[in-house]
Amino acid sequence: MNGRTKGFNLLELIKKVVFTDFVKGLSITLGYNVSRSITQRYPDEEKWIPYRRWRGLHYLNRDAEGRELCVACELCSKACPTQCITVVPMEDDSGRGIADRVAKVWKVDLVRCLYCGYCEDACPTRAVRLGREYETACTDLASTVRRREELLVPQALAENIEGGVLVKSRLVRTPEGIKVEPDLRRHKKRSL
Amino acid sequence: MNERDDIIATQGITIHMGPQHPSTHGVLHLVLDLQGEKIVRAEPDIGYLHRGTEKIAENLLYHQFVPYTDRLDYMCAMSNNLAYVQAVEKLLGIEITERAKHIRVIAAELSRIAGHLMAIGAWALDLGAMSILLYAVREREIVLDIFEMLCGARMTLSYLRVGGVRYDFTDGCKEACEKMLEILPGRISEYERILLGNRVWVDRNRGVGVISAEEAINLGLSGPALRASGVKWDIRKDEPYLIYDRFDFDVPVGTNGDCFDRYVIRIEEIKQSMRIIRQALRDLPEGPFNVDMPELVPPPKPDVYNNMENLIHHFKYVSHGFKVPKGEVYSSIEAPKGELGVYIVSDGSEKPYRLKLRVPSFHNLQTVRHMSKGMYLADVVAIISSLDPVFGECDK
Ligand code: SF4
Ligand code: SF4
Repeated sequence: MNGRTKGFNLLELIKKVVFTDFVKGLSITLGYNVSRSITQRYPDEEKWIPYRRWRGLHYLNRDAEGRELCVACELCSKACPTQCITVVPMEDDSGRGIADRVAKVWKVDLVRCLYCGYCEDACPTRAVRLGREYETACTDLASTVRRREELLVPQALAENIEGGVLVKSRLVRTPEGIKVEPDLRRHKKRSL
Repeated sequence: MNERDDIIATQGITIHMGPQHPSTHGVLHLVLDLQGEKIVRAEPDIGYLHRGTEKIAENLLYHQFVPYTDRLDYMCAMSNNLAYVQAVEKLLGIEITERAKHIRVIAAELSRIAGHLMAIGAWALDLGAMSILLYAVREREIVLDIFEMLCGARMTLSYLRVGGVRYDFTDGCKEACEKMLEILPGRISEYERILLGNRVWVDRNRGVGVISAEEAINLGLSGPALRASGVKWDIRKDEPYLIYDRFDFDVPVGTNGDCFDRYVIRIEEIKQSMRIIRQALRDLPEGPFNVDMPELVPPPKPDVYNNMENLIHHFKYVSHGFKVPKGEVYSSIEAPKGELGVYIVSDGSEKPYRLKLRVPSFHNLQTVRHMSKGMYLADVVAIISSLDPVFGECDK
């Protein structure tokens, strides 16, 4: 029935009793047991630095003189498939932005975001970019909405770092929460 | 057939397997009528992950829907991207560039490898050979690293766009692919040594969940599961899309149509995918990776801000999308799980009037009933795993 082997065979029985079949497989498994571990020790000792194209948490850019690049054209919120970006424009000629039109409110709802990067593609001034920050876990819904003020802070990872490496890191516990502090000087490729 | 049916008479019971069962691949809910430990009837109950993807498409511009296709079969998102953009391109009647075609083939085959690795790993886990899962996921990581380098995401890729691809295939990606092609064959023979040497694993798959070729066709089975039943049907060969007709690869076919054959086919397909990638990398031509149509693919960023015409194209594309001619189209590809088809009805506007997805997991799942009839309860786990349904896709 079902094509399964039936009938009595002494050799088969011995094989079954002493698990000879498993020996081959076990030799591989045991071999890995003594070889070097490839497990990433995140976050206590290691952290993955993503590649440059990584689409992580949004950030807003400034130009070389520190003016905000965003001209509040609302193209990013138009392009967004989930409508998770809210832009409210206002007039401001004090030199805060590169034009007289700046964003009064610019916020993104990360819970709705698909991290597709269409907002970044849509922005004509390259103001909004998806950065390489990926530690967005939080315990309250309020901090999933990120506002302009938080997004304007400079990125920890410079644009010219290629990424795709593991760096040494340290888990820091503070009263505000936990943080992983990478040490970019000591990096290595992931062992495959 | 059932050897001691006449002696032991038990009372039939109905049990519910899932939707929160560790070996039902997500949220499958099976209603099983049992007679002793034998299955009398197995009824899949689906829909727990329904998100109304098809309806969502009707409210989005054509190019905005691509990220949603990532969330269908999330184990191999690239294939879904491909099926969708190919359908839109067919409707538009455009031809993409040679380079884009090669990149798409490489990307689709990479995602087939990633999908099959996960399928085999999860399957072995369900049947008690847990180490394979760890090994398979480790190799999958190599593929996901390539995706990350290529498009900045590991699972929800959104890499393809109507008219080409979003980012260029860099030399770094090429090297990573070559590295992968070097590592993978050795690792796959390791799986085979572990799994084929594991009597429990082999016995739990051989002769289990048999489906005949005729039945398989009648039920709309496709992909590796159909080929395991001995039907040589692979859309890449039989209705070639992209440039699959230029590559030399084999379509593995099984004979028994049981779970074990479905495993063999998947392993063999990984090897064939590697062959295709090798050839595509060799032939990868230089040149543009997007069509030269500014209304479909806006000009690159540096050109936008300095040139009025480009700026207009950019604004137009972002805020209104592009119009697609009136008509309807069906286009399908060979996704890792089977035939993935996209049917679009266009009313000539920037949004689909209706979009229908022919998803392989859904059609494959209906064969569970036939495959598990008369089998033991424990065999159902093997049968589900051998079909490799993914519920993001099945429930849409
Ligand atoms: S990444 Fe995509 S979903 Fe997220 S804010 Fe940007 S456009 Fe919207
Ligand atoms: S971030 Fe860019 S696209 Fe969005 S409103 Fe500002 S300038 Fe416009």
